[in-house]
Amino acid sequence: MTMKLAEALTMVQATPPHAPPLEIALLCGFTPLHLETFLRAQLCRLFPGRFPRVQIGLYGDLLGNLERVANVAAAIVVIEWSDLDPRLGLRRLGGWEPSRMPDILNEVRRSCDLLQQCMAAVAQNIPLIACFPTLPLPPVSFTPAARASEFTLELRSRVASLGAAVSHDPAVRIVDPQRLNALSPAQRLDVNADLSTGFPYTLAHASVLAELLAGLVQNPLPKKGLITDLDDTLWRGILGEVGVEGISWDLDHHSQIHGLYQQLLRSLAASGTLIAVASKNERALVQQAFAGRDFIVRESDVFPFEVHWDAKSESVARILSTWNISADDVVFVDDSPMDLAEVKAAHPGVECLRFPRENPQAAYELLERLRDLFGKERITSEDSLRAASLRSNATLQHGVNQSSAGASEEFLRHIGGKLTFSRQKQPLDSRAFELVSKTNQFNLNGRRFQETEWQEWLKAKDTVMIAASYQDKYGPLGKIAVIAGDLSNSDSSGKRKLRVRTWVMSCRAFSRLIEYECLQWLFSKLDVEEIEFDFLPTARNAPIQTFLQRVRGAPAEPGCRLLRSQFMETCPALHHAVEELPNG
Amino acid sequence: MAELESRLVNCFAVVFPELTPQEIPSVSMGSLASWDSVAGITLLSVIEEEFNLSISPDDVAGLVSFELILDYVRRVASGARA
Repeated sequence: MTMKLAEALTMVQATPPHAPPLEIALLCGFTPLHLETFLRAQLCRLFPGRFPRVQIGLYGDLLGNLERVANVAAAIVVIEWSDLDPRLGLRRLGGWEPSRMPDILNEVRRSCDLLQQCMAAVAQNIPLIACFPTLPLPPVSFTPAARASEFTLELRSRVASLGAAVSHDPAVRIVDPQRLNALSPAQRLDVNADLSTGFPYTLAHASVLAELLAGLVQNPLPKKGLITDLDDTLWRGILGEVGVEGISWDLDHHSQIHGLYQQLLRSLAASGTLIAVASKNERALVQQAFAGRDFIVRESDVFPFEVHWDAKSESVARILSTWNISADDVVFVDDSPMDLAEVKAAHPGVECLRFPRENPQAAYELLERLRDLFGKERITSEDSLRAASLRSNATLQHGVNQSSAGASEEFLRHIGGKLTFSRQKQPLDSRAFELVSKTNQFNLNGRRFQETEWQEWLKAKDTVMIAASYQDKYGPLGKIAVIAGDLSNSDSSGKRKLRVRTWVMSCRAFSRLIEYECLQWLFSKLDVEEIEFDFLPTARNAPIQTFLQRVRGAPAEPGCRLLRSQFMETCPALHHAVEELPNG
Repeated sequence: MAELESRLVNCFAVVFPELTPQEIPSVSMGSLASWDSVAGITLLSVIEEEFNLSISPDDVAGLVSFELILDYVRRVASGARA
């Protein structure tokens, strides 16, 4: 985990200086010195192909540094006690006598208020990564070291309040002290370095902190689905041997860790993670178990169940097909190393993790790892719809497949599809950004945006962003499509043209002619005569290639165009109820 | 001792990548423009990490050339008081 300073320097030097820059601000009141080096190295690791440039501010002026931050993709603010009151640092001699404590508390309160304002202002424009004091307090308080004083508890309480206040802002990401404590060494303060150079951290602490900070800059998207085994994983025991009443997940049977695993799966399912089962078992027996025992994870949390005696890799293949997501987005948990290896060989992208049933400590660490892999910033309304919509999608696909070719339209006409369009350009619409960042199949060009790049683009006057939400009699799918582009006059006649630069649609929304409805809406509501597509073929965007070919009558190609008249000729009959959100 | 010198050359190479291994043994703060205060602190931190030693603030001011640093590291490595 800990990187050596020499390694960090070597990594930074190995980055091509002509690569596209990645501008990050590192704001602190101390000399950032090696923290800056470690941060650059970690950014090089997480953003290959970019040249990280770390802007630093002035020594001892954290608030001013926050106020001056500009032209960066993200800002990192690292706050230490001396930033809240210089008397809490080692480089100033303002006095530690008890009579000064009330004034120090007042000064810390004032600093926290100012920091909250400055941080909120920065977070209006760019992601802000924050870290609250990581160093021990100096021996200011008069109590013995083992006894927490009212003074130190008050100080920590004020900082905790600041963290809680700024955490409400979706653009603020705060380093979790529990994670930092687990990774960083006990010896964090380097008194020697602080007194001689103004850099207060030991190298090991700076290395760990930089890794966590860079990870929050990268802000990786969570995995989407978890496939779990049953025997000796979801529960203790082999169902086929011990029967429905013989399996357990409780303290009495020394199998509580399986109950904790179920509890985590229930939580993940409720947060929008897809859960499936791949088990070598008798289907009827598993159905009997779910019907007869009171599991913490519910049967309705799981879709699909792949329960039979075929290879696990085949089960995983079918689950991936049902979910219609990439293997890279999936974690497979099983107690059998052989099954894990078999799945890994067939699906290298799947993250395969062993459930160590014989070792509760290791199993608990697995739970922590799973929480990390599926961790997300916030729960959206779409998260609660995902599993249900997959089920209804399977029903719909079944209906479409059962229909004869001529009857599909009839089938779709009777499902009561309703599309709601919104053209509000909300830079912090996290669901829209998630769709653009994770959709692969119906994706115009596979282009991914940095969060700040996306926000900057949406702010431009001629940029339009349309988001579509969908529901039918099988239930709501939530926000499922995003189209963004630039509006302009195409020629001297003044006819308007739309250049679509991004168009993504969730695979959950396929087979409903929603893509046609989107184009129809663009032509009519934006009053454009022509749409130009920034199309690029990717390894996985065959669905949009096929659609563009169908609607244009010619293969999709970069810069391909579609006239309103051309679209009207090829568009099938559409039966959705369409509405636009007010203020859209 | 040759191994110690070679490790010290590597430390210098990491901090001053513009130098060739042949140039490093004769380098000093006065002869190398990029050896400023920040580079000096970085160099000493890399050396502390590489040789698992702690350089006293009182000694830092005298460590201004490869030769002097090599001598310092040799004395510390041999257990002598630096």
